[in-house]
Amino acid sequence: MAIRIFLIFTFFFPGAVCLLVAQNPVQQPIDFVCQNCLPADALVQLSRETGINIVFNDRFFQDCPSITIAARQQPFSTVLEQIASCSQASYKWVAGQVVFYRKARRFTLSGYVQDAETGERLIGASVRIISTSTKGTITNEFGFYSIPLDEGTYQVAVHYIGYQQEVRQINMDQVQLLTFRLKANTALPEVVITALPLSESLVSSEENRQNLPAALLEGIPMPGGEADLIRLAALQPGVQTGVDGLGGLHVRGGNADQNLILLDDVPVYNPNHALGLFSVFNPATIKNARLWKGDFPARYGGRASSVLDVRTRDGNFRENHSSLSVGLFASSATLEGPIKRDTSSFLLSGRTTYFGPWIDLFSKRENLLTFSGDQVTYRFYDVNLKLNYIFSPKNRLYFSYYQGGDVFRNQFEQRFDDPEGLYTDQYGLTSDWGNAIAALRWNHLLRKNLFTNTTLRFSRFYYQSRLTLLSTFLSASGKESLLANYGQIYQTLIQDWSGKTDFSYFPKNWLTLRWGIAYTLHSFQPGALSVNFLVPGQSPITIDSLSLALLNDERLGADEAEMYVDSEWKLWKHWRLESGLNFSSFQIRNSRFSALQPRIRLQRSGKKGWRFWWGYHRNAQYLHQIGSFNISLPFELWVPTTLKVPPEKAWQVSTGLALLRNGWHFQLEGYYKRLDRVLTFLSSNTALFTGGAEDASGWEDRILSGKGRTYGLEMTLQKRTRTNTATLSYTWSDAQRQFPDLNTGKPFPFRFDRRHDLKISVQQRIASWLNAELIWAFATGNPITLSGVKFQHHTPNGDTERNVYVYTEVNGYRLPAYHRLDAALNAYFGGGNWKHAIHLGVYNAYNRANPFFLYVDSGSGSNAKAIQYTLLPLLPSFRYELKF
Amino acid sequence: MNCRRCILLVLAILVCALACVREANINLPDLPTRIVALSHFTIGQPIQVEVSLSQTLTDAGDPVIPFEANVSIAVGGKFLDKLFRVTDDGGRIFWQSRDTVEAETQYAVTVQIGGYDPAQSESYAPQPKFLSPSQIDTAGIRILDLENGKLALQLPLVISVADLPADKRYFAFGLKHEIEIFELINGEPVPDEYYEASSKFLADGRTLALVYDTPENVVLINENFWQDDSQQLSVDVLIPFDPAYERPRRVFVEWRTLSEDFYRYHLSLARQGNNIPLNDPDALYNNIEGGYGNFSGYSATEDTIRIPELF
Repeated sequence: MAIRIFLIFTFFFPGAVCLLVAQNPVQQPIDFVCQNCLPADALVQLSRETGINIVFNDRFFQDCPSITIAARQQPFSTVLEQIASCSQASYKWVAGQVVFYRKARRFTLSGYVQDAETGERLIGASVRIISTSTKGTITNEFGFYSIPLDEGTYQVAVHYIGYQQEVRQINMDQVQLLTFRLKANTALPEVVITALPLSESLVSSEENRQNLPAALLEGIPMPGGEADLIRLAALQPGVQTGVDGLGGLHVRGGNADQNLILLDDVPVYNPNHALGLFSVFNPATIKNARLWKGDFPARYGGRASSVLDVRTRDGNFRENHSSLSVGLFASSATLEGPIKRDTSSFLLSGRTTYFGPWIDLFSKRENLLTFSGDQVTYRFYDVNLKLNYIFSPKNRLYFSYYQGGDVFRNQFEQRFDDPEGLYTDQYGLTSDWGNAIAALRWNHLLRKNLFTNTTLRFSRFYYQSRLTLLSTFLSASGKESLLANYGQIYQTLIQDWSGKTDFSYFPKNWLTLRWGIAYTLHSFQPGALSVNFLVPGQSPITIDSLSLALLNDERLGADEAEMYVDSEWKLWKHWRLESGLNFSSFQIRNSRFSALQPRIRLQRSGKKGWRFWWGYHRNAQYLHQIGSFNISLPFELWVPTTLKVPPEKAWQVSTGLALLRNGWHFQLEGYYKRLDRVLTFLSSNTALFTGGAEDASGWEDRILSGKGRTYGLEMTLQKRTRTNTATLSYTWSDAQRQFPDLNTGKPFPFRFDRRHDLKISVQQRIASWLNAELIWAFATGNPITLSGVKFQHHTPNGDTERNVYVYTEVNGYRLPAYHRLDAALNAYFGGGNWKHAIHLGVYNAYNRANPFFLYVDSGSGSNAKAIQYTLLPLLPSFRYELKF
Repeated sequence: MNCRRCILLVLAILVCALACVREANINLPDLPTRIVALSHFTIGQPIQVEVSLSQTLTDAGDPVIPFEANVSIAVGGKFLDKLFRVTDDGGRIFWQSRDTVEAETQYAVTVQIGGYDPAQSESYAPQPKFLSPSQIDTAGIRILDLENGKLALQLPLVISVADLPADKRYFAFGLKHEIEIFELINGEPVPDEYYEASSKFLADGRTLALVYDTPENVVLINENFWQDDSQQLSVDVLIPFDPAYERPRRVFVEWRTLSEDFYRYHLSLARQGNNIPLNDPDALYNNIEGGYGNFSGYSATEDTIRIPELF
């Protein structure tokens, strides 16, 4: 049957084509002569001679000169084209007649959106053409936008949260480079929402779905009143931390090291201060932050779970300004202003802490971990510097620098009375760690619709600890002798130099393309311990052999290269497609690893405020943070992929729907994520020998590779009125891990798996100068590994025994549920150049004893007990801000 | 209320708040008391089973060892022996078989104590995998100065497995050394007596990452150690001695071929951590059905290496 159809088709098709050509008058050969005639007259003559009706407008040919045509047996269409060649008009065959029409000219509207007063470029501002629902875009990471438009007159509306909307009429008769300068709302800071979406206008903007505007940071109750970006991110559904913010950020069941955290395009390896109570992001410097929960575009690579992209402010281009913030735990000061008005600016900000008295109180009361002792000090600091210079409307240079660090010191003394004399041991531990980050970025507008950014980057994270012991003996006769004078230094380091170039191209209204290439030179020092005996003649053999083996000063270099293509398609009227491909390559010790990571997201916007979407994203990761304690301690090591440590790979499918109507917003999203190679680290049990630092020797052989699986449902329900916003966000999830060598090979719950996670927030504007916020958070308790019984294992000769704890299942026990209530009252007053703000609040208002960890103190006799430690009780907070 | 009193109030609230940081006693998982059976048996030796009862974590006392327990051994489903209670010179109490262990024979043990669920398990002692003669790199021998005039001998030792199997690479080793004590008679050293002691050792980072101390006085080797199919394990044996009247003479290498039950149990013990807060331990490998503990076999060979005369 198929052969018969084929024969019929091949037999009749050429004939059918000939018949069609013969019958088409446009292709019929004609004779036509015209001497020095105007094109309009020639068309009239042609119509008369051929009998074919030709429709045209005289204006199409009014600028054309006279022409002469002498055509013999040429196709009708050829003659038509000769007559109309001088004009922009085209023709088409419609209902048996020729219709001329003018081809619309197309021009590109592009430029920047910025703050009218400060010149600060605004990221994610909405630029829309009124009267067309499909034309519009948002500004990119540098405040740039580009929209191709047909010739004509349009009204352009530009909007950004916290700013007055600007509507401008433009006549598109040529390429336009326009900068919109938005005026900030001068009234009380907008009542903003602590869970996405942020405002109706932005919710409708699909491109802005990941935004965490810095404006949200003000007013949210935080410990000590210190606004913190990571804690703000943790309010989103699907994002969790450990207890009271410790333990890093865990997005949809991912590890803390699987988050790509960027500060001005540079990876930050340790985003925490004070073990996670605070982040390294000084709120005074943050312009914009975006969080992707696994569905990130192809331009981001190198991590398996999420992206937090933080951009700092540029500094005021027009006036000098300062601000001061004083809280219970930290203070900061910021200076900004123009170096040359409207051309260059600077921003300098510093933050430091005065934790000392609080740490003293904690440590003396609790003897937590190794924080006991006579003298404990802790502090952290941050310094941010931003410079930028506008060379021309098409060229701009940015320089960003960040340095921050933590310092912890503990000195204590132990004395042992003995009949022969007095033994004294003096211990000293100093640990310091921190990040240094620098970026030099060059924005260049290659064409009106082609934007480029080239970045040179540096990122460094180090941890160093020094442990000293001075041991002396004072005999009964009064003779003092030195028993030991011992010191060790432990260091771990990761350092990157990198360069990247990104292109953003806006060729059509319905298409945006981004592509780029990046190269990074990594340098790792997984861990080096140097032991120093200060008494001549003493030998290292007097200490335990395992400690000696920590001598690992290996430095590893690695090359990472990446290229990507991202595209955003507006398909038909209601469909939108984001598709991308990221290819990365990692080379170390003559071994090369590579990964192709496709990413796709399809969305349909329905009528009446509905949206549906579906996505598939694949990610790979070559750098890993390994440690024994599961709370992202600073001495956990960053190590590279090697032949023994495979790259981590993950894929995620997600689907969801959202409805925005009458001030209500409802969003429901489900996801399923697989981590094909997730890593865990086997503790060496020698960490405590190194002053808390992890033993890096043989690290490759202590890493286990396994699988992870997580799925969940995230829901957000929100209601906004003029004075009130209430948000409920709920996550139901299940995250598991499975390693062949752990838990006898059986799957077990992820350490940060929480079945239910509920956050309710209410924001109320009380007066024009006063607002209040309440947040209540509830979460299922974290799983931990706990033993119920023990037995003794004797050595063969029966001399000693070892307690064997019967851990029946890894993470088989749940800590009690976590919940707390936070409240804040924010007052804004002052006018003119002096603005004041006071933030009063309380963290954990009903003093819930949320479990931080459990510890079984074996004690002796009847003193043995299992103890639950609580970290943060009720904490009042206070912060005063002054801007001038 | 004037401003000064406000400040004092705020400070008082802060101090009170921080004073609320607290510890609270909690209830641990309520697991029933069960029989604990522990036995590592080897070829040519009788089976010895230590029997006790499990304890709650907060019980800081000694474990209960039953006076009466019915401990029996079966092979192939047929009763073989009822073990009898023994108290050795050191006071250790265990139940012992009359028969000795044969290689590759699957032994099943049952422990019954009135009032508790019976505990059952089975395992075997594998055929030994022998070592090639171990080698000392004489050129690499170092003598280290210790305190008080003592010395230490650092001996580079290479242990080689003669026939590394394709799978089930479950091994452990123990190191001991022999010291000769001599007397000076007419200025000449005359051997007087000998003693043996466990040896410490140094090794490279990879080796130390893949070996674990056990309560059995041997060091367990992770099966991943043999991933590259190298059949050798290199360590530096450390032998401290007093040169005034001691001489190191011999090193003994005990080489154990383990059943999987022995290996998995001690591997999980090594991953228990040291009860350090926030450090996640691994689940215990337990092959005692109805109880806790471990019943597993091994075989052992010994290699003796004579230390070169250096003095």
